[in-house]
Amino acid sequence: MSSTPAQMRRLAGSRPLQHVVVLGANGTMGYGAAALFTQAIPRVTFLARSREKAQEGLQAAIKQVRSETVGNRADVGSYEELDAKLATADLVFEALTEDFALKKQMFDRVEKSRRADSIVATVTSGLSINELAEGRGDSFRRHFLGLHLFNPPNVIVGTELIGGRETDPAVLDFIEAFSRVRLGREIVRTHDAPAFAGNRVGFKVLNEVAQLAEQIGPVLADRLVGPYTGRAMTPLATIDLVGWDIHRAIVDNVYEKTQDEAHATLKLPDYMAKAMQRGVLGNKSGAGFFKKEGKTSLALDPASGDYRPVAEIKLPKLGYIDRVAALHNVGRYAEGMQAFLAAEEPEAEIARRVIAGYISYAFHRVGEVTDAITGIDLIMATGFNWAPPSVLVDTMGARASVELIERAGLPVPQALRDAARGAARPFFHHPQLNVGKFFVAN
Amino acid sequence: MAARPEVYVLGGYQTDFARNWTKENKHFSALMREGVRGALERCDIAPEEVESAHVGNFAAELYCMQGHLGAFFTEVDPKFSGVPTSRHEAACASGSIAILAASAEIEAGRYDLQAVVGIEQMKTVSAAQGGSYLGTAAWYDLEAKGVEFPFPKLFGRLGDEYDRRYGLKDEHLAEISRINYENAKLNANAQTRTWYMNKQHALCRTEDNPAVGGRIRISDCSQVTDGAVCVFLASRAYAEKWAKGRGVELAKIPRVKGWGHNTARLRFDDKIAESRDQQYVLPHVRSTITSAWKRAGIADVNGVDGIETHDCFTTSEYMAIDHFGITAPGESWKAVEAGWLEIDGKHPINPSGGLIGAGHPVGATGVRQLLDAALQVTGQAGDYQVEGARNFQTLNIGGSGTTSVSFVVGL
Repeated sequence: MSSTPAQMRRLAGSRPLQHVVVLGANGTMGYGAAALFTQAIPRVTFLARSREKAQEGLQAAIKQVRSETVGNRADVGSYEELDAKLATADLVFEALTEDFALKKQMFDRVEKSRRADSIVATVTSGLSINELAEGRGDSFRRHFLGLHLFNPPNVIVGTELIGGRETDPAVLDFIEAFSRVRLGREIVRTHDAPAFAGNRVGFKVLNEVAQLAEQIGPVLADRLVGPYTGRAMTPLATIDLVGWDIHRAIVDNVYEKTQDEAHATLKLPDYMAKAMQRGVLGNKSGAGFFKKEGKTSLALDPASGDYRPVAEIKLPKLGYIDRVAALHNVGRYAEGMQAFLAAEEPEAEIARRVIAGYISYAFHRVGEVTDAITGIDLIMATGFNWAPPSVLVDTMGARASVELIERAGLPVPQALRDAARGAARPFFHHPQLNVGKFFVAN
Repeated sequence: MAARPEVYVLGGYQTDFARNWTKENKHFSALMREGVRGALERCDIAPEEVESAHVGNFAAELYCMQGHLGAFFTEVDPKFSGVPTSRHEAACASGSIAILAASAEIEAGRYDLQAVVGIEQMKTVSAAQGGSYLGTAAWYDLEAKGVEFPFPKLFGRLGDEYDRRYGLKDEHLAEISRINYENAKLNANAQTRTWYMNKQHALCRTEDNPAVGGRIRISDCSQVTDGAVCVFLASRAYAEKWAKGRGVELAKIPRVKGWGHNTARLRFDDKIAESRDQQYVLPHVRSTITSAWKRAGIADVNGVDGIETHDCFTTSEYMAIDHFGITAPGESWKAVEAGWLEIDGKHPINPSGGLIGAGHPVGATGVRQLLDAALQVTGQAGDYQVEGARNFQTLNIGGSGTTSVSFVVGL
């Protein structure tokens, strides 16, 4: 979308958006999105399997954003009331469980009840927009799109916008403008590829660290790929927060639907599948890679499935992390990353391999998930709060990045080879985004 | 009298005001470093070109147990070793005072290129402790000692004074809050970009929006913020060279066209007593605004395309509206109701989100306002760009309307 800011603001108000119906409004993403909508849309309908479930969603929304005023703009109902509720809806926002058949069934009903000019958005984190639209009428397909918010949407602004083959470009432009201007979203347009851009790249890294945990344990794995490598939250703590079921749905979908150069890193570790059979789902089940018993922090032993006190787990000496963190602490990020690259501890090599994999994988997805690396950069920055791949390359230097990837035995993206040969030119361009915030001094 | 030498604003850099540098485990020097290095890169200026630096900061001695902040500038780059630096303090107007000092040195012909850094790290202490530190911007012993959150109470009384003289409705204050939060959603570096707000919430009188001082509720307040902003100011000679090197006309580089600066008596009661029989509640603030116009050759508020004002509380923005002459004294509500303050309105105020929406790292605010004004008049303000802006004005206030500084920045 190319327009001036004032044109974008006019576009955001160019189409009535007075009523949104949220389907699956009792789920985490459903009520989170519904709460977000109440800031900008006068009427927000929470729908769920039952009126009681919808009411639970409304209460959760009020709690999440800490404002009873959410209730002033909200009404609740069950799917039995779909017909009546959709009659006035300008936007239908689908946030059901990540189940293709379930979503298809719901869209059968939505198609029958929706107004011909209403926009239908799905918040799917990776199912195909084109496949979800398949078999629908012209009006539905023209008004159907993916609007992938990240959880929790009242904290994370990164959002992916995905059009299907037949989505009306004017509808996409309107939703982008409205989301940016009225909802404070940072919008990245992605292709209709499995898991889109952010989750494709992000969950590859998360899953690789989960695989690592099988060999070295979750405590060391999280320490090695910790904040000093360019992220606010450690990888395994992130999976615990997201939920193991969601993690599994995403990596299984990508593993099944793609055949890229890093395919093996997307296979869910067996120990995780086994633990899930015992009900381990991360924070929502009270236990994941980590759990708390009273004041004691415990970590999973992947081999036995038992938990051990973190305090009793002996880690090797990781002096290099202290050296990197000390440099990050005073804002010397480039020098910090040089210290990381130069570290001689064998564990540093494990961490470097993961970072090399992240950069290599992200650059190889250009063309497949987004048109340019800038889209992947922006969603990693604003959806994951990770240093975007381009920022890591700029901070370490293109030549050092190529060496890092070569040493890990991974394919080197052509763009990096070219950059390493030429004069140093930064990959990352965003006039407003601070890059220092990603290099946390821990 | 010879024409005053021109002072150009080459550009600058703002750190993301949503960041918590304590949580990032970063030292104060990292904040300084990111602000300055960001500005060097953004403006494509080599460190050895910088001749002098001025640092605006309110209370690093209290928040960070660190003084002598000018010297921290030299830590940013080895080439800065030996560069003359100084630190300036005037409570929440510290940043603007640093700009005044730097521009005066350019006008005096002492230096051609100056760095001005506004900086404050505030999330190092509890809210109550921070509130007490801010009390030192008032007459501490008389107005703040033993008072929980003294400043919301002082600015609550500003609202009470408006109410007494002219009448004041909370719904107009709520609307001011709503606009600032909404504008902040357009600003990637705004602290409240993801915070929940609409007019209903701002009017909410429950635990979700508690009172913190008289009529002031949480939604009426600016934020506790960590942030640094650095701008480069230059003489005409340097600006010509710099513009040429970038293939840009000198006429496209913004200038500080006018400035105003007044200091009123410290205690709020004394200020109000002084203005008792006058139309303007804070006449020295009015004088700061009009003297900036006079120096810029501007007749009135219609000569600027937008304003970045000091909304430390909704009442201070309410005061600014009539003091800028957008309405007659006491009639600020008319501009609120008419929608004039919106980003696409007749007199946009705080397209960045201001101190309420974008955040208020005390010593950095004046520099942030100047940078935003420069970005606006050069069409670089991103999603919060005011269409076609050529002249922008700032108003930065320290204490309870005590030290006021205003700049007109334009092409």
